[in-house]
Amino acid sequence: MSTIKKGTSRERNEFMWGWLFILPTMIGLIILNIIPIFQTIWQSFFKTGDFGRGNIFIGAENYIRLFGDAEVWQSVLNTFKYAIVEVPFSIALSLVLAVLLNRKMKGVSTYRTIFFLPMVAAPAAVAMVWRWLFNTEFGLLNHVFHADIQWISDPRIAVFSIAVIGIWSIIGYNMVLFLAGLQEIPRDYYEAADIDGANGIEQFFNITVPLLSPTIFFVSITRIIGGLQVFDLIFMVMDKNNPALYKTQSIVYLFYQNSFVENNKGYGSTIVVLLIAIIMVITVFQMIAQKKWVYYN
Amino acid sequence: MKRHNKFLALGLCAALATTTLAGCGGSAGGGGGDSAGGNGGGGGDAGGKLTVAIWDNGQQPGLQEILNDFTAATGIETQLQVIEWNSYWTLLEAGASGGDMPDVFWMHSNEAVRYMSNGILLDITDKVNASETLELDKFPEDLKNMYTYDGRIYALPKDIDTVAIWYNKDMFDAAGIPYPDGSWTWDEFYDIAKQLTKDDGSQYGFCANPSNEQDTWMNTVYTLGGCVLNEEGKSGFDDPKTVAAMEFFDKLVKETMPPASTMSETGTDVLFGSGKIAMISQGSWMVAAFKDNEYIAAHADVARLPKDPETGRSISLYNGLGWSASAGTKNPEGAYKLIEWFASKDMQQKQAELGVTMAAYEGVSDQWVSNTDLFNLQPYLDAMDDVVFRPATKSTLAWWNPMVEELKKPWNGEEDMATACANITQIMNEKIAEEN
Repeated sequence: MSTIKKGTSRERNEFMWGWLFILPTMIGLIILNIIPIFQTIWQSFFKTGDFGRGNIFIGAENYIRLFGDAEVWQSVLNTFKYAIVEVPFSIALSLVLAVLLNRKMKGVSTYRTIFFLPMVAAPAAVAMVWRWLFNTEFGLLNHVFHADIQWISDPRIAVFSIAVIGIWSIIGYNMVLFLAGLQEIPRDYYEAADIDGANGIEQFFNITVPLLSPTIFFVSITRIIGGLQVFDLIFMVMDKNNPALYKTQSIVYLFYQNSFVENNKGYGSTIVVLLIAIIMVITVFQMIAQKKWVYYN
Repeated sequence: MKRHNKFLALGLCAALATTTLAGCGGSAGGGGGDSAGGNGGGGGDAGGKLTVAIWDNGQQPGLQEILNDFTAATGIETQLQVIEWNSYWTLLEAGASGGDMPDVFWMHSNEAVRYMSNGILLDITDKVNASETLELDKFPEDLKNMYTYDGRIYALPKDIDTVAIWYNKDMFDAAGIPYPDGSWTWDEFYDIAKQLTKDDGSQYGFCANPSNEQDTWMNTVYTLGGCVLNEEGKSGFDDPKTVAAMEFFDKLVKETMPPASTMSETGTDVLFGSGKIAMISQGSWMVAAFKDNEYIAAHADVARLPKDPETGRSISLYNGLGWSASAGTKNPEGAYKLIEWFASKDMQQKQAELGVTMAAYEGVSDQWVSNTDLFNLQPYLDAMDDVVFRPATKSTLAWWNPMVEELKKPWNGEEDMATACANITQIMNEKIAEEN
């Protein structure tokens, strides 16, 4: 009798402490994320008045407008273009860097710091620097290559130029995550592979990648979400007079324009609901696909 | 009125875009307000101080002096914060929708009606009428009307601004063209701009972005007999004279300006300040910034906007900011005192003397002209002889932004100007009809 009683009290104790520890996060999530999600969805059915007053319920009108709005679909396309370049390149490059920096060599922490530095810099500052690097007239890039390429105002390439900034900014962060994952892989596998005569590249594809796949999966999920939410780079780099803006503006940029510049928060919310839907669908597909390639040991 | 660095907005929006997928949507209402307040460092009460918000860095030092005088005279402490133009309105909007607003802040004709009609601004009518020091008759009528709604006063005029042409003296010398004395017509202006444009792209005669409305093409439109808003308050872009003026301006864009992509990437003031451009049309609010630019200070001077060849009139747009207070301020007395302080003759004069801006108060702007010997600023003052107030309706921005957006197409050569004007007419009239 007494042992059971003791057990329950400890279980109850653990239960209570468990909840107590996650409570701050839960409260934060609920107040800052979950409630606003529903508020946003709710708001997307309204024609919002000035300063959040006098909202008029208009049913699905915002959604009907959304489906016929070429600008929105262009922004979806722009966002995908950005993500399709940024995500794979940033993952591949940072994976290679992480592997190269995951060994004993002189100055390894210096290199790690250098690659991580872009992450420490304020995104606004990063964007301003790149904006001038890309400048057609006075930019370093055109100067060095003696070219006359309109990196950020040619509608055909501007979105990819922005993606380059995105890759540069995120590599360090991805690299740190991969380094952490690499530390988990036991050395024995590599020693065994050495004895079997596998070279570095074979080891990379047959040991490193499979054993690192949970980390790769995590990074790709978060990077795709992050990539689809791109805003700050575009906002900072693209002037509103820029002829390439229409072919560059992302979904979140359009949301910002509608909600905060034109003060049409109802329609802005509708745009962002579309983004949530897109992200959810993609994430679900990734979750299904992970069974095929992610190994949890 | 334009500031290109968007740092502060970014603080708000980086937070917005990098939180979880919900974060970006959810921040539409209250979330945006919270982070905005945090970034701007401004709330309603900073230890009993009055918080004062403006958007122009160039005016900060001068206004700080005037605020110091205010504290010395009244004992009320103030805290001045500068929030860059784009973020300023985002922040104010968030504050008005249920967060903290600064106590005293600038109001602009783009937004004034929306803020006044929603009761966001402190009604200062009674205090103004009871005031013994104010001389309201010394302020321009348009400006007072702009900040009056339903017979109630919500802001007092801060300044006025007009537009003039800045020219690069070296380029005129090199081409053997005499400096403009303000007697020119737009046709002559076109000829000069054309002469100063070199074929190899190393130098252009003129430059303007579609979003340089008040400071460039709108002046041409009004001078050449057109209008942006007609007398019925509808779009003036179907007026043949407006279309003709815009087509004339289109000719300037195509023949005397750098490619639209260059102008948008680099910004017209930077291009002028780096010796690529012979002439630029700019508002008086840019003078403080141009004084600080070594190249412009050494090489440029100011002339009045060109005239219409037939009427001989040279019309400049003008606008003026207002000092207003938040209806929810914890210290309405202090806030009003500060507004009154800014509108007093002495402080209007001081504002002009310090070179902050032209004063709204009649007759004290001579001091502004003489505050610098780098440039001859008299053309800005002369421009006041024939002015049109910056066009505004109840919800100006709703049509203003699409108008600028549409103009990007002829600028890039994707559409001819007449089509753009027809499209703008349609958009404007739709948006204006929605206002009521």
